[in-house]
Amino acid sequence: MTLLKLSGLSKSFGDNQVLKSIDLELKSQELLAVLGASGAGKSTLLRLIAGFERPTSGSMTLNGAEISNSNKVLAPDKRNIGIVPQDAALFPHLSVSQNIGFGLSKWSTGDKAARLKHLLELVELTDFADARPESLSGGQAQRVALARALAPRPALVLMDEPFSALDAELRARLRLDIRKILLAEGATAVLVTHDQEEALSLADRVAVLRDGEIGQIGTPTDIYNSPIDIGIATFLGDSVLVEGQVVKGKISTALGLLNPMGKVLDGDQGLTAIRYENFYLLPNPGGEGEVVGQVFFGHDAVLEVKIGDLVIRARSNGPFAPEVGMRVKVWVRGSVNFYAN
Amino acid sequence: MRRPPFLVVALSLGATLFASLPIGYLAIRFIEGLDKALDEVFRLRTLELLGNTGLLVLSVSISAFVIGFSQAWLTTRSNIRFASVFAVLAALPLAIPSYVMALGYISVFPTFSGFFASWLVLTLATSPYVFLAVTASLVRVDTAGEEVARSLGFGRLSVLRKITWPQVAPAATASVLLVALYTLSEFGAIAILRYDTFTRAIFNAYRGSFDRTAAAALAIVLLLITLLVIWLERRYRGANISSSRALGKRVRIDLGNWSWLALPILALVAALGVGLPIVSLIIWSILGGSSINWDQLLEALWGSFSLAGLAGVIIGIFATAIAFWAFRYRTKLGAFIETLSWATHALPAIVVGLALVFFGANITPWIYQTTWLLLIGYLILFLPNALAAISSPVARVPRSLEDLSQSLGTPANRTLFKIVLPIAMPGIIAGMALVSLTVLKELPATLLLRPTEVDTLATRLWTATETLSYSQAAPYAMLLIMLAGLPALALNAQARRAISEVREK
Repeated sequence: MTLLKLSGLSKSFGDNQVLKSIDLELKSQELLAVLGASGAGKSTLLRLIAGFERPTSGSMTLNGAEISNSNKVLAPDKRNIGIVPQDAALFPHLSVSQNIGFGLSKWSTGDKAARLKHLLELVELTDFADARPESLSGGQAQRVALARALAPRPALVLMDEPFSALDAELRARLRLDIRKILLAEGATAVLVTHDQEEALSLADRVAVLRDGEIGQIGTPTDIYNSPIDIGIATFLGDSVLVEGQVVKGKISTALGLLNPMGKVLDGDQGLTAIRYENFYLLPNPGGEGEVVGQVFFGHDAVLEVKIGDLVIRARSNGPFAPEVGMRVKVWVRGSVNFYAN
Repeated sequence: MRRPPFLVVALSLGATLFASLPIGYLAIRFIEGLDKALDEVFRLRTLELLGNTGLLVLSVSISAFVIGFSQAWLTTRSNIRFASVFAVLAALPLAIPSYVMALGYISVFPTFSGFFASWLVLTLATSPYVFLAVTASLVRVDTAGEEVARSLGFGRLSVLRKITWPQVAPAATASVLLVALYTLSEFGAIAILRYDTFTRAIFNAYRGSFDRTAAAALAIVLLLITLLVIWLERRYRGANISSSRALGKRVRIDLGNWSWLALPILALVAALGVGLPIVSLIIWSILGGSSINWDQLLEALWGSFSLAGLAGVIIGIFATAIAFWAFRYRTKLGAFIETLSWATHALPAIVVGLALVFFGANITPWIYQTTWLLLIGYLILFLPNALAAISSPVARVPRSLEDLSQSLGTPANRTLFKIVLPIAMPGIIAGMALVSLTVLKELPATLLLRPTEVDTLATRLWTATETLSYSQAAPYAMLLIMLAGLPALALNAQARRAISEVREK
């Protein structure tokens, strides 16, 4: 069932068109990640959905009822849409449980207490019920902010880069927590982020926002495996671009004949995008490649391999990576994406 | 353990002694003659004064709050036009001493007097304190929190009440209590506008009879009320709840059609608080320009500047010594002296003046009616102001520089004068300048304590006003605004910060 529908939604600030005719549908209980570089219009999109900005044109419906068009905007407090801001923005003068219970002012005392207890358990902060916001760590504050948004059972929760203020390790853990909490609450959510890993690992669907337009939308695997153009391909993951030509359904490149993903036309010239992890390297004194550089990350390593005039980068299992100076045989596994000029 | 130099200790203790002795003496005299004093206190007259003063303090506090808060909210949080112009205009009355503002009004409307007049003038003169404090605190409220509250189903007004207000409340409350303190101790404006409160009654009782018991008794009552308000103010000062992230994202709220109501109101407040008094003083200055007594004016200028300059330097030296002791040596005694030096903050000048009159006449007749007694009065009144300005430049000098200097062979106490003093010097000089400008505007203590032959801009203005010669008084008023008020406002760090924060979108 469609919960939220954006039709031709545009927003300009003066001459600056930030969003250009966005069409988007969100199903109930779905988690959508909007992925984009900074300045792509992500935050503006969220503020439009939340009702803090008026669209320049286009319209928006929630549960079939129109909530925004260029003439009339339903006030944010009438929308039943929760928000989780970038830096949690807890109310500094209220305790953790007062923060979470803030949106429950119209609930009966008993219902409110039960809901609070449930949420505190869900975000694993029962012991912090009376704590002041300034005593919380970044991750705890972010969980309180999520619980506060979820408390009145909103139709939709909007999350604006909720992990950006946290360090990498905490970020990975909190990501799992939040996914779990959202599932447990059966919530529908839109998350905006500039972090590919975050979008791919957390969302049911990912929308790539580029210069105020949705470049591509699909499941994480779809969008990672079949980016519709070079820009999205390189934005979503590390790729090597190699020139090629389609010959009898295969792509002829400096790396040999490669299998294309999807349909290609014989004779087309263009670029092939090969992900680092699609390369397979085998140490072999007679191999065509020579390892000329290595960046070691522990669990894996990125190797620079010189093949004739071409230098490629390949991901390899960290502990077993070939060393600099070794000769290797290079294979490309699976199919690759080809983009005709 | 490093020990502070003798000079620092001597100056600090001296300042504390000067500041506490006269007030203590007033209290002792009061207790000694308790029976007679209590007779003076428990009269219908006291009750009437209490009612008048209470009414004025309460009504000024409320109206200054409403005006100052609205100005702050509109200029920092709404999309009102000319926000930065209105922010400057909201702070500008600080440059006009309240008795000058009163003069500006009564010279246009000679019958403008009594409660309403005093209420209006003091409201206009004190609302900048609320405006500055609330602005500083409002810009620290993260608007993301307000948006969260909107998304949780709360309308604009309830967000203002439940989210914004609690975060601004401590600063706003402290500033309102400050307004109450100023109103309690205000003398000049109230006397010019002829409204009977404690300060005016004390002055009249002092001047009208040779028995000064009545004046002393009333002064003690005013002192006790003031101490109560000061105690309240201390509880709120510094208690600032705000999000850890300073200067969060700020989104200005679209006023829509409300701006047609807000703009004229802001403009009206500016016209009443700045426009009317200035225009009236300019017109009177022009009218009186031809008959001005230049000798008197130059004499008053010299009197004002010599007194203010001397007071600024002396008070600045005392304050620097206390700041050195408290912040560079971190001893308990030093910190205690620093706290003690704040005790006289916001005491009514009329009470301090009276205490010194008693003290001077009875204990130290050799300085009675000399400039020295007046300077001690200024020290009591403005040592806290000097400390406020001088503490932070002294405290901010990095300790590592002192360590470094000592490791290069300079003893600790020499390091204090070779490293800390020169680095903190610009701040210390700014503090001295601020104190000088404040002294320049001072009226009641100067009236009570000045040697008869000394006149200042403020006392000349006062004398001319008493004889209703407004055209004689106006040039002095203009000089006070230009030479003391505007430079003091320009030096006021809080005002500068508030206005620059309104400016940045």
